[in-house]
Amino acid sequence: MLKLILSRALQGVVVLLVVSALTFALLAAAGGDALGELASEGGASEATLKEMRRVYGLDEPLAARYAHWLSNLARGRMGESFYYHAPVATIIWPRLLRTLALAAAALFLALSFSLALGALAARRRGSLWDRASELIILLTASTPRIVLALITLAIVARTSWFPVGGAAGTETLADISPLRILPPAIVLALPLVALFLAQAREGLSHALALDFVQVARAKGLPERAVIMRHALRDALNPLITLFGYASGSVVSGSVIVETVLGWSGLGALSVNAVRYRDVPLLMGVVMITATAVLAGNLLADILLRLNDPRLRPRRAPARTRRASGRSLDLPASGA
Amino acid sequence: MTDTQPPHLSDTYTAPPPDAWERGYAAPGSWHGRVRRRLARRWKLIAGLGIVSTFYVLAVLANFVAPYDASEQSRQQPLAPPTPIRFRDREGRWHARPFIYRLRLADPLARTYTEDTAARFPLVLYTRGHSYKLLGLFQTDRHLFGVVRDARRNFDPSQNSGADAGANATQSANAPPPQRVYLLGTDEFGRDRLSRLLMASRFSLAVGPLGTLLAGILGVFLGCVSGYAGRRVDALLMRAADAMLALPDLVLILAARAAFPLVLPPARAGALLVGIFIAIGWAEMARLARGLVLGLREREFVLAAVSLGLTETRILFRHILPNASRPLVVQLSLMLPAFLLAETALSFLGVGVQEPAASWGNMLVAAGNLTLLGQQPLVLLSPAFAIFLFVLGVRLLSDGLRRDGDTRAG
Repeated sequence: MLKLILSRALQGVVVLLVVSALTFALLAAAGGDALGELASEGGASEATLKEMRRVYGLDEPLAARYAHWLSNLARGRMGESFYYHAPVATIIWPRLLRTLALAAAALFLALSFSLALGALAARRRGSLWDRASELIILLTASTPRIVLALITLAIVARTSWFPVGGAAGTETLADISPLRILPPAIVLALPLVALFLAQAREGLSHALALDFVQVARAKGLPERAVIMRHALRDALNPLITLFGYASGSVVSGSVIVETVLGWSGLGALSVNAVRYRDVPLLMGVVMITATAVLAGNLLADILLRLNDPRLRPRRAPARTRRASGRSLDLPASGA
Repeated sequence: MTDTQPPHLSDTYTAPPPDAWERGYAAPGSWHGRVRRRLARRWKLIAGLGIVSTFYVLAVLANFVAPYDASEQSRQQPLAPPTPIRFRDREGRWHARPFIYRLRLADPLARTYTEDTAARFPLVLYTRGHSYKLLGLFQTDRHLFGVVRDARRNFDPSQNSGADAGANATQSANAPPPQRVYLLGTDEFGRDRLSRLLMASRFSLAVGPLGTLLAGILGVFLGCVSGYAGRRVDALLMRAADAMLALPDLVLILAARAAFPLVLPPARAGALLVGIFIAIGWAEMARLARGLVLGLREREFVLAAVSLGLTETRILFRHILPNASRPLVVQLSLMLPAFLLAETALSFLGVGVQEPAASWGNMLVAAGNLTLLGQQPLVLLSPAFAIFLFVLGVRLLSDGLRRDGDTRAG
């Protein structure tokens, strides 16, 4: 396990380096920065601009700037945001927590709903539950988050069930009430339901036909226990792998969901960073996002090994083939 | 597989599975029964194709179907609700031809409209309107539907018939322009929302799919090369693909978008988005293509081709690639919604296509206004429904393609 974590962390660092270098080069190569915007508005003289470039270190060559940025990052400093005039870390941190809370709520909703419905559907093929879940998969897979978010906004606007908006400045964790988080979490969760439900239904109905489930039934266990304790364990593997994939989908989706439904998190922040061409902030957001996605994948791998003893390296390595070789059919999710 | 296979596919011929006749390979019974079974098996494919091709036909003919110029403003009628289509006039008489009444802005602040029932404006098909170039070739001013130019006065018993004729005469002299029909209402500048929606479909249906297609082609090329050349090229390309796949799509696209000026003319914004999609989308496709090539290049028909002395390029693109085409097409159709939605999202966030050009994304910005959304939710969300329907069509299509191609899973 430790070996897995270490090797994955090392790979992750390499990927992060590549990602940061690419983003940095791209943002620099295109020219133009927040100061350029300032100059085009006519708010600063040539001398002031030159001085500001020097202060922010924008007059150095690209490689030097990247090295500078990296060495700062290693010391935990991500620079100062051009737009917010505050250290990037202090801007990102509270929003990261809010986005994580949102993502956790969405994943919880999607997983619990999918497992419950998937179990009902898998018990008998062609039953009402089965057909209902097929319809739900088709609908949730083809409803983009932007559509869902706006429909939810329309519902929120017409009813008074949920508190609306929230001031832009409230970035504390204190105002995360269940009612406040529910609309964005549902919107974030629904496209995931398509992925999870399809896999849960497929996996459970496959597992229910396996020999060890027959054995459990023969022992006289009630069907509920057969599903919950025996079949589910087997069907959980691909779901956990999907969970790693979903972490990326959630981050992508949160950009739209947070903007539309007024949840001031990382997604909404990244849009602002692009709008104001705030390079240090954007770099910070990209790095944090990439780290979060990589961490989600690592978490999925760890969970996979905890759930399935066959995957642990202590056992005969030839048998690990079986589960890891099961191909996953990932539909591209709507952003 | 269809009955008429292209000849290059024949080297992967596999015998039909034992239960082939159940699935319509060589169905016994009547021709009708066979067709029905086949249709039942492929309804997703057909429905998907139908939806997607309808969207494209509408987009190509958008100028003709749209009753008005998408940028033409009528300042007196901002944010008008959909024009009510009536068959029954003020006096309670029925008309075979539907008509509308003139809308008057009753309260400019609350934006409430009242109908002026004095004159009817019948709707007609294939009418004249602003002129445009159909398919970019023929200059014409014909439109699918519209309102007749001269209003029909209602019969008013208090006046004699002579006054009626006089009223018609004065109206033609200095009459206000005829009431326009707004099936989806107008936006805040008084532009016809239906016309904008139709014109927007041109942009939205071009950028996302074009980006997907080009990214797919590049990805397949790089993937084939990577899988066939092996070793150093392979390692280099796949590490680059890994880095691309580590970040979620939308964040990557946003980061790439930030590198370019924010305000761009529509054509350049579209080209830029296509470029970004190509730069980002190739990785996924290359991964799949590489995997397929790795599997196929050990097969006997490749050995046969090698022993015939064919060049590597020919083997790769004429023998291996056609055999990998089905999963690649399916993957392409899976990628399409993602990029279509990315374009919509960027335009919605104000960093894609900007006003006054229309795209489904920037039309949705109006739906972000809570008070408006409370008043006219269905109209404001019409671009969202268009997006939903198109994505549903693509999803059905790719589902159908996959099921059609997969001979193992019924």
